[in-house]
Parts: sequence; structure tokens; C-alpha cells
Amino acid sequence: MPPAVALVAGSTEAAAAAAHHPVKAATPAPAAAAASVPKPPEKPPYLFFNVAEVQFIEPACERLIPADESGAGALAAGVPNYLDKQLGGAWGAGERLYRSGPWIQGTASQGYQLPFTPAELFRTALRAIHSDLAQRGSAFNELSTDAQDDYLKSLEKDNHDLDGVPSAVFFDMLLKMSIEGFFSDPVYGGNRDMVAWRMIGFPGAYADYYEAIDRHGVKFEREPLSIGEDGHGNVHVHPEIPASVG
Amino acid sequence: MAQRLKEVDVVVIGVGMVGSILAKELAAAGYKVVGLERGSTRFTVPEFQSPGIHDELRFDVRKALMQDNTREPVTFRNNTSQTGLPVRRWESFLPGTGLGGSMVHWNGQTFRFQANDFELATRTRERYGKGFLDPDLTIQDWGVTYDELEPYYDRFEYLLGTSGKAGNLKGQIQQGGDPHESPRSRDYPTPPQKEHYSGALFRKAASSLGYHPFPQPSSNLSQPYTNPEGLKMNTCVFCGFCERYACEHYAKSTPQTFILPVLLANSNFELRTGCQVQRINLDSTKKRATGVTYIDNAGRELEQPASLVITSLFAINNIRMLLLSGIGKPYDPSTGKGVVGRNYAYQTMSTVASFFDEDVIINPFMASGASGTMINDYAGDNFDHSGLGFIGGAFIGAVNTNGRPIQYHPTPPGTPAWGKGWKEAVVKHYNHTVMFSLHGSSTSQKQNYADLDPTYKDAWGQPLLRITFDFPKNDLKMAEYVTARGVEIGKAMGAKQVVGSPRKGPYTTQIYQTTHNTGGTVMGNDPSTSVVNRYLQSWDVPNVFVIGASAYPQNASWNPTGTLGALTYWVADALKNKYLKNPGHLVST
Amino acid sequence: MKHLLATLILLGASAAQGATPPPEAATCQACHGAHGEGVVDGDKPRLAGQSAFYLDKQLRDFASGARDNAIMSAIAKGLNDQTRAKLAAYYAALPVPAALEHRAPTAAQAERGHQLAIEGAEGKRVQACNNCHGPDGSGVALSAPALAGQLAPYLAAQLKSWQQGSRKNDAGNLMSSVASRLDDADIAAVTAYYASLE
Repeated sequence: MPPAVALVAGSTEAAAAAAHHPVKAATPAPAAAAASVPKPPEKPPYLFFNVAEVQFIEPACERLIPADESGAGALAAGVPNYLDKQLGGAWGAGERLYRSGPWIQGTASQGYQLPFTPAELFRTALRAIHSDLAQRGSAFNELSTDAQDDYLKSLEKDNHDLDGVPSAVFFDMLLKMSIEGFFSDPVYGGNRDMVAWRMIGFPGAYADYYEAIDRHGVKFEREPLSIGEDGHGNVHVHPEIPASVG
Repeated sequence: MAQRLKEVDVVVIGVGMVGSILAKELAAAGYKVVGLERGSTRFTVPEFQSPGIHDELRFDVRKALMQDNTREPVTFRNNTSQTGLPVRRWESFLPGTGLGGSMVHWNGQTFRFQANDFELATRTRERYGKGFLDPDLTIQDWGVTYDELEPYYDRFEYLLGTSGKAGNLKGQIQQGGDPHESPRSRDYPTPPQKEHYSGALFRKAASSLGYHPFPQPSSNLSQPYTNPEGLKMNTCVFCGFCERYACEHYAKSTPQTFILPVLLANSNFELRTGCQVQRINLDSTKKRATGVTYIDNAGRELEQPASLVITSLFAINNIRMLLLSGIGKPYDPSTGKGVVGRNYAYQTMSTVASFFDEDVIINPFMASGASGTMINDYAGDNFDHSGLGFIGGAFIGAVNTNGRPIQYHPTPPGTPAWGKGWKEAVVKHYNHTVMFSLHGSSTSQKQNYADLDPTYKDAWGQPLLRITFDFPKNDLKMAEYVTARGVEIGKAMGAKQVVGSPRKGPYTTQIYQTTHNTGGTVMGNDPSTSVVNRYLQSWDVPNVFVIGASAYPQNASWNPTGTLGALTYWVADALKNKYLKNPGHLVST
Repeated sequence: MKHLLATLILLGASAAQGATPPPEAATCQACHGAHGEGVVDGDKPRLAGQSAFYLDKQLRDFASGARDNAIMSAIAKGLNDQTRAKLAAYYAALPVPAALEHRAPTAAQAERGHQLAIEGAEGKRVQACNNCHGPDGSGVALSAPALAGQLAPYLAAQLKSWQQGSRKNDAGNLMSSVASRLDDADIAAVTAYYASLE
């Protein structure tokens, strides 16, 4: 196996990675392109989740995708914010979902057959989870991380009835949307500072690899770039992008 | 009350690849053609441009370019003991919509079927004997041969500018190409795309085992190209946003790049978008179509009379159009009688994941949709099936099409689905894994078919198509066998861990496995087992032609598009040279 | 390797803060200006703030003849790998200077240039320049150079040379495909537009 050789082999590419954007006069040169600790997130306000729901969603997302040595977790990446904006928008309201009945529970091969939109599903499930935990005496955010994991595993595997939402269906949607919030383009409000992309080395939305593809086995080190980014590196967030093209 | 419009020569239902090519051929021959497309117009500029098009959430996860389930899904069940239920969100297959159809968002993988495939029933019997096939299988000959279609394959590849390397030129095997392919009259119009690192690893390993690796034929072009219509296409830059996305670079062959400007400039052709065709109308004899009825974007019902009706919808929608129109006898699996909906098939997909150490850098995000390296040694009937207990096979390839992280973050078995262990595994394996595609054939069987659902309707109030399908045992056996061969190649690559995932039943609509739905309006020489003749003309209503992969009696080991393009030009010639000069049955019934 | 990287970046950084340029830069400054700002004559582009990868590649291409220019070829042939890399890093880290004297785009040019930059032109089968050249033409490291703030006459001269075939070092013919479909009005518009971007 050829040894890994970074494309950042010398000063040329190093400076390339570092000086992606032209530096204005009197601005210090940008930092090297190593994985950096993200700034504490400035949290946009929640427009969909209420306070009780946030007390479940924030720690739950962080258990699904925790901060660790490999990099930021769901909270630093803004995953709860992503969920909030999607559930509060067209997707949450049932964009692209066939919503006619009758609703008959089918086989696993036949997929989702419930009337709930994503927003309705979350509301219903979270309300049921809240009262379940209230009966047990602790809110989710008061539990230890081990206890939180146990609770999540039980949602995932034991398939409780959450007021009509099978808990496995809720868990599946929560996990899927958390992964989306982690890895999607930051234009949607998650993947803040492209932390998830940096973690795995995915270069993002600008993607011309005609020459680089010839360099077999050579790591491609470039700052990731977002759809929402302007020429000065600022990412403009637009979570309302529709799941259709009109 | 439908408003009746002025009669035209031809109405084309669905302006995707097939509709675009046929409309252009007929308009250029002087006929007045109306193309009815339910979706919108879209062009490379502005609709396909970056950076907005490189949005994995929108196009990959939420399928923004696809048919809208809110208005028109299908229903599905594995067998007749179940109730068909709506596919409320697409996963397994992703029907397209809009001008240019599914070929706007395809991967560009452009193949020919082999000579054996067109006479599968006859040749299987000859080679392996009559008792070899599972009696439930309903495989058939096509009624047309590879040799008859060869000039049309050539024409289609040159229209697209497909990049590849011939393996068999007029019977002479060519070094570096696929030695199993059926003879070509000339090489591909452009040379193969550059090879990805995963392809280079695969090629070395496959060669070491005595196989014959070759570059995957790609309609994401390797260099600038001007096609016979005079349209210029550009070099693909391996951006890794191919399948489910539209190409901003004019580098992926789509109707927008290879034919639409010419079609739209012809005053004999009129494009109407936002038009949902409800049915093909028949006269009182039920043997002649008088035109179509459609509902436009504003909800108005209109009738378009025409002498010739071509339904060139996506395969499953062709089946539905005939059923809604009462053309041909619907298939009933309990009696075995009828033909419309019969022989529905799909594609039997397996994977092999090869996990390497972290010093092996794969860069999966650098890719085109067809820049793979593959072998056909286990595809079709290219190997001796004696004693194996199945027919068919798969192409096996390192077909790296993308590294888009929401959906691509491979982890080995035993990795937790979430939490610290998941995250660690994602980081450890993202850039150090090679995924093989094992793209397997799909036989037809009595139990698999399509009909109209008795309960669920579309937004226009019409019954949805109901698909009843499960993998024939034959195909699952094939999947096991080819996957074991794929694992051997993975090990020969020197991977630390190789995991084969052969396709297992039951078929589920919840995992993506290609949009290669075939059959249901099958072509053939025998009206009791086919819906259309070898020119894709309806046996029942001779002024209706039904063109799509719905014509395939069963599906072969390769993507259907190349063969559909060839059939399209084959039918275009039949229309111009035979039918339109003397309308009537082209084949005696 | 990481230490070398850090060292070289710091060198670049300190250069940006007005420290001494490498001695070999004197040759560059003679034509490209004291601060790498270029000259508005079509021949001498701004180097300051351009992608180091791109600068290095052009120097290599001048040396090999893949890119043709009598003066630059002679200079580039005299550089070894390390000097070339040093110069590329130095100029890449320089701040982009304030706009030099050049004609601002007319309203029509700004509109047409902006359209070509972010959308392209279907009738000419030209894609958006920013697809490859990055957000607001700010360049994409390891793929395409920055166009924003580059001198318009230089950009126009390059598009012309892609058109005429006198410049050929675009892998995959990516630039000659584009340039061959632009007319003079397009070139004037898109180059004036990019030159005006900060």
C-alpha cells in the first residue's frame, strides 16, 4: 500500500489551504487548516420546539452524536437548531409525503404508513415522552448520560406506544434527522462551521476534482465550502430551501 | 367538459429521453408533434447550476427532482396475500419528472445488453436444457436481436458522446475493454474517463484473479464533444453530485445537452408542460386511439386529438397509462391470463465493502456517476451456470459515485447505530473504504406484476399503480454467488476487512436499489405473452406505441438506459420508414 | 511534516505583516508591483492573495512550456521547486491591495457579468463561472484561481488566449470550452464585473 502523502506536501498547498480567501490589508493571516475547536455556538431562537421539548431534544441529540476526541457533537454542530427549522417548515408540515388514507399497518417492506406529518409525529412523541419521564421522576436533561442512553435504547428497541407513535418510528426519525443536521450543508443551520465535514474531510459544495482525481492515495486538504457561503467566507443560513424545484 | 383542441399528427406522452428523441425524429421528418410533459421546463442554465445543485439534503435525501409522492406515488405489496399500501416516500426507486425526465438525474452508466439477453429463453434452454429453469419464471425472448439493434446502440452512444473503451470490435477482442461484450461496429465516441483510485485497486485485484476489468462506460464525458446534432458537451470534473442531481457543467449527457435545443427549435414541435395525461382515448371499436385527454396546471381538462399516440413515460407509468386507458388485457396472476402488467421486474443489487487502514486514502467524493472499473465475468450468461441452480449474474465493480456524507458513511458490521462508537467508526472508515456494486439481473416470474390499486388514488382522482413484487428465488441464489466472488476480489485488494452483503428477501421499498423498474408492457412476437410487438406497437391498438423499459421481458445485468436508447432509435426508424407511410399493424397478429 | 507546514505558514504570515519578501521576489516586483498588485496593461496580473497552488502551477507550466510566455518562461526556468514554492506562498499570503485604476463596469456589463458569474448563459451553453471559481469568484483552493479583484485587462487577455488556443494549460479543456463560446461583449462584461469585486 503506498504510504499516505498529504496533498498539503509543502508550503505551496499549505498556504493554499490557509489562504483560501484573499486577505485584506491589516488582517492577520488565517490559521492553518487543522481540525479546529469550534466557537461556542450562538444559538438561534427555537421557533418550533417549546422549552420542555428542548430539554429532551438537546441532550438526546448530543447522546446520538456526542462531542469527543474526533470532534464536535450535535450541540456544537447546531443539530437541534436544524431539527427545529425543518420541523417548523415545509418538511415538517408534510412536504413530499403521500397523506391520503386509509392507514393500514403493513410489513416492514411497505414502510411508513402513519398519518402523522414529521411535525405532528415529533409533537405527539415528545409529549408522551415528557409525561413518561415525569412519572419516573426526572426530566431527560436531569438524567446521567448512561441513563439517557438507556432511555434512548429503550425507545429504539422496546417500541413503546407514544400516544399512537411507535417509539421505534420516532427514534428512527430523530436519528435520521440528527445525522442530516450533522452532515448537511450549513446553509440549513446545522453542521456549524462545517465541523462535521472537517471531521471526515468532505470538501463540500464546490467540487472540481478533475486534476486531483489523478493523485491516487493522496489526502485532499482544502477548507470545506458551503452553498450559502459568500466570497468572504460568511455562511448565510437558509433553512427554508424547499424539497422541490417548482 | 374537455375542450377539444386541433388535431395533430403525433402526441408524445412524457418528454424525457424517449419522448425527446422520438419527437425530434418525427418533427424533423415533417410531422406535427405535440409533447405533453407533466413537469416543468428546466435547462442547464439556470436550473442545474451550482452551488445550489450540490445540496445533498435537498436532492439526495428529499429527492427534489423526483415525482411528488403527495400527488402520485404507487402502492406496493410483496405478494397477493398482502394489501397494497402507498409508497408514501420514495426510497427503493426514484421516478423522475420534468422536461428531460429521469435522464436529468441519472448516473450516466451506459451499457449494452448482450446478444444472449435478447433470446434468453431460447439460449438458456439450448445451453442448460429445458428443466434448468424454475417453473415459476416467465423469462422470454424479446422479438428483436442484438444484431438488429447494434446500429441503434451505436447511434445512441454517439448522440450522448459516451466515454468508454470497446472490448469487441467486429469480433476482434480489444485489450483493455470488456472481452464479453457483443460485437460493436466501432469504438465509443470518446475515450474512458480517468480511473478513480478505488478502480485502480479493483483492477489490480481483479486481474490477479484472472478476470477482465475494464472502465465503466460513462455518459459523463471524458473530453469536450460535439454530437451529430451539433450540440457541444464539456468535460466532466468528477464533482461527485451525479445521480439524483442535474449537471451544471454540460458534461452529463441529458436530453438538455444532447437533443432538446434542436427539438425545441423545430416549429413542427410544440412542448406543453404542466400537463397530466389522464388517458389515451379510444374510438368505439376500441382498436383505434383518437388522442389523449389531459389536465393542465390550472386544472383545465383538454382533449388533444392525434393520429398517432406515443406513450414514452417512465416504465411504471407506461403500464399505468395502458391500464387507465383500457388498452390490452390486464394480467391476472391467479389465472395467468392477460398481458398488461405481466413480467414486472427490477434489479438485484448486492454490495461488498472493503475496509482499509487509515493510511489508504480513497477520496470517495471525487467521482462521476460512472467512473468505475468493473468486470463482466460473472454477468449474464458469461460463465457456466451448470450445477449452480440459477440463471443470470451481475457486473461487479468498484463503482464509486460519491462521498456525500449524509448517506455515505460506511461502517463495519457491529458498529453501533449511534453514539460515540458510531462517530468513531464514521471518522475511521469514511475515507478508507471501497464499496463494490454488484448489479444483478432480475428474472420475471408469474407472481410479480403490476395492476391498478383498488383503494388509493392520485391527486387527479385516478387509481394508483399497484406493484406486486418479490425477488425470485433464482435471483437471490445469483446474488449469493456473485457476492462471494466479489468478496474474493475485495480480499485480493488487500483490505483489512471485507464484508459481502448479498441481496436478501423480502424485497423492501425502504432501501435504495436502483430505479431500474422494467416490464409490464413487454415486447415480443406472441400477443399472448406480450403487450407490444417488436416495434413496440400495441397489438390491440396499432396507432399506439409504448416505449420504455416497460418493454423488457426481464431485466439483464446492466442498467437499462443504453438499451432503451437503442430501442428508441429502432422504433423511430420503424415509424418513419414503415408505420407513418402505411399505418396499420407492422406485424401480423 | 506538520512542523514544516506551520513554519512555512508562519513565514507567509510574517511576510503578510510587511516583513521582508524573499530576495527572489525582486524579479517579480519589477513587473508585478511592489505589493504584487499587478499592472493594468493586460500582461501583469495581480499576484497578491492568489491561490498558492495556482501560482505554483503556472510557474511550473511556464517552465515546461505548457503555458507560453517568453518573459515568464525564462524567469520560471530559473527557479527550483523550493524557490517556486516560497514565492507562491509569499504572494498567496499578501493582502489583496485596494483596487487599482481600472474602468468600473457599466450597469449593463455589471448585470451581464453577474449573470455569467452566477448563472451562465443557456443559449451559449456556458455554465456559471462561480461553479469552479468559487463563491463570488474568490477561488477554490486546489482547483481554480480567484477571479475577484483580478485586473480586467489581464482576465480579458486570458479569455482571448483560451479562445485562440495560445493558452492551453487547462486540464480537460475546461477553459477553452467556455472561452470559445463567449463573444467580446461577454468578455468585457464578465472581466469588468470580477475586477470590481472586493
